[in-house]
Amino acid sequence: MKLSQDVLLGLFFTTIGVGSAVMAASYPFGTSSRMGPGYFPVIVSSLLVLTGILVLFRSRLTLGAIPEIGWKPIVVVSLAILIFGLVVEPLGLPIAVFLLTVVSATTSEKFRLDWRAFAGAAAFAAFCSVLFVELLGLPVPIVGNWLQGLGL
Amino acid sequence: MDIFNGLLLGFSTATTPENFLYCFFGVFLGTAVGVLPGLGPIATISMLLPFTFGLPIDTALIMLAGIFYGSQYGGSTTAILMNIPGEASSVVTTLDGHEMAKQGKAGRALAAAAIGSFFAGTVGTLFIAISAPLLASFALTFGPAEYFSLIVLGLITSMVLTSGSLLTAFGMALFGVLLGMIGTDVNSGAARYTFDSANLLDGLDFVVVATGIFGLGDVLANLENERNRVASVATVSSLFPTADDWRRMSAPILRGTGIGVLLGVLPGAGVLLASFSAYALEKKISRHPEQFGKGAIEGVAAPEAANNAAAQTCFIPMLTLGLPGTATMALMIGALVVQGVQPGPEILTQQPALFWGLVVSMWLGNLMLLFLNLPLVGMWARLISVPYHFLFPVICVFIAIGVYSINNSVFDVYMMALFGVLGYFFKKIGAEPAPLILAMILGPMAEEYLRRALLISHGDATVFFTSPLSLGTLIVAFLLLLSIVSPRFRKVREEGLQEAD
Repeated sequence: MKLSQDVLLGLFFTTIGVGSAVMAASYPFGTSSRMGPGYFPVIVSSLLVLTGILVLFRSRLTLGAIPEIGWKPIVVVSLAILIFGLVVEPLGLPIAVFLLTVVSATTSEKFRLDWRAFAGAAAFAAFCSVLFVELLGLPVPIVGNWLQGLGL
Repeated sequence: MDIFNGLLLGFSTATTPENFLYCFFGVFLGTAVGVLPGLGPIATISMLLPFTFGLPIDTALIMLAGIFYGSQYGGSTTAILMNIPGEASSVVTTLDGHEMAKQGKAGRALAAAAIGSFFAGTVGTLFIAISAPLLASFALTFGPAEYFSLIVLGLITSMVLTSGSLLTAFGMALFGVLLGMIGTDVNSGAARYTFDSANLLDGLDFVVVATGIFGLGDVLANLENERNRVASVATVSSLFPTADDWRRMSAPILRGTGIGVLLGVLPGAGVLLASFSAYALEKKISRHPEQFGKGAIEGVAAPEAANNAAAQTCFIPMLTLGLPGTATMALMIGALVVQGVQPGPEILTQQPALFWGLVVSMWLGNLMLLFLNLPLVGMWARLISVPYHFLFPVICVFIAIGVYSINNSVFDVYMMALFGVLGYFFKKIGAEPAPLILAMILGPMAEEYLRRALLISHGDATVFFTSPLSLGTLIVAFLLLLSIVSPRFRKVREEGLQEAD
C-alpha cells in the first residue's frame, strides 16, 4: 500500500478508535436507560474505527500525495515550548520567555545569532513580565523558585 | 425584564469607564492580531485569552466579544489589501475586494466593508436584543431530547460546511468527542482516558487544544513557506465612497444583513455560510453579473454585511441554549467556563447585567470598529508587512504564556505543543480541524443529554422522534446530509469551501 493522505488519516482514525474502544470496554457499559461511563465512548470509538476503515478503502480510489513535511520547525519550535515549560517555574517568566524567543527564532532562515537577537529577546522578556505579571496580574513567577533559594 | 429596560441596563453596564475601555482594547487588539495574515479568529481569541483572566466576568466577556469581531474585521482588511483571507468567511471578500484594490479603489472597498459591517452589526445586535429573551424562555421548555437533537444538528452542519470530504469531517468530529470524554465522568465519577495521570482528571482543557491546533499549528505551517510569503500591500487612497457607490451598495447591504442575521442563528458554520450565500445571491440577481469577480462593490458590501450580521447572531444559540454554533463560539464558552459562568437559558435571568451589557457593547464595539478602522487603515497595512521572522516567536510566547496561565499548569503547555504538531499534520493530510474543536465541547454535552433523555424514556430511543421539535431538528439535519449527495450542491460546496481554510 502506497502512503497517501487517506492512508495516514485512515490509520490514524482506526488506531485511535481501536485504542479508545479497548479502553472504553473496561468501563462499566450500563444499559440504555442507565448509561454507564463506557456506553457513549464505546459507540463513538466503534464509529471512529468504522470511519477509519472507510477512509482506508477510499484511499484506493484517489491518491492524495502527502505534501513535504517541514521537520525543522516542528522539532525546534516544540523543543522551544518544552524548554519554556521546564524553565518557567524553576527559573521564572523572563528567562523562560527569553529562551523560547531565541530558540524558536532559530527556525527562521533569516535568523542571525548575534547580539541584536539577544537584546531583542531580552527586551521582549522584560516587556512580557511587566505586561502579564505586573499589569494583567497573572500568577506567573517572575523569579523562579530555584533562584529564590539563592537569595535573589 | 423588557427590552427597553434591558437595553438601559446594558448601556449602564457597557459604558462604565472600565468596560468601555476594555471593549476598546478588545476591538483594537482583535483587529491588530486579525490583520496579521494566517491568524484567524480562533487563534486570535485563544492567543489573547489571558488578557481577560484578571478581569471581572462582564468586562472579560465584553473584551472577548470585542476581540472576536475585531479579528473578523481585520480578516476583511487583509482580504482586500493583500488578497489573503484572514479567515474562511472573508474568502469571498477577496474576489471583488482585492480586485477593487488592484484598480486603485482599495479605500472605497474598505469603506464599503466597514459601512456594511456596521449596519449589519447594528441590525444583528437589535435582533439579539429582541429574539434572545424570547428564545431563552422558550428554551426553558426544552427537554434533554431536544437538546440532544440540536447538538446533532450543530455537529452535522459543521461537518457539511467544512472543506474536504464529509467522511473526514465525521472522523474528526468523532475524535473530538473522544477528546472531550477525557477526565472524570460527571455521573459515575469514573476516570476515563486519563492514562492514570492526575493532570487529566479534570479533563483536557478545550482552550489548550484549540490554541495548539489553530495557534501553534498555523505557526508551524506558515514557517515552512516562509520564503514565498508575499507581502505586497495595495495602497489606500480615498476612503469615501462615491454617490454611485452608495447607490450600488445600499440594497446589497440590506439583503446581506437579512441573510446573515438568519443564517447566523443556525448552529454549525453560520458565519461562513452567510457570506457565501450573500455573494451568490447578489451575483444571481445583479443586472451585471459579469462584473462580479472584476471589482463589483456589491460583491464586497453584501458578504461583509452578511458575515458581520452572522457574527452577531451566532451568539444567540450560545447565550440562550449554552450550545456553541461555531468553533469560535465554543472557545467563548471555554472562556466563560474559565471565568466560572455556565452559559445557558438561565444566564438572562441570573446575570441580566452580563447579558445586556454584552449586547450593548457589541453595538459599541461595531461603532468603534468603524472609527478605528477607516482612519487607521494605514497603520494596519504597515502591521501586515511586519516580517514573519519577527512575528512568530512573539506568537509562540503569547500562546505559551496564555496556555500556562489557564490553570498554572506546565502540563497544559506540553499538551498545547503536542496538539500544535497534530494540527500541523492534520493540515498535511487534508483534514480540517474545525469539527474536532466543536465536537470536543459538544460531545460531553451530547452524552449528558442522551443519558438524561434515555433515563426518562426508560431506554426507549423513539423519544427523539416523538417530540415534534426534536423530530423537526433531526429532519433538518438529515436533509443537510442528503443535500451533500446532490451534485449541484456538491459543486457549490466545493467551489465555495476549497479556499476556505
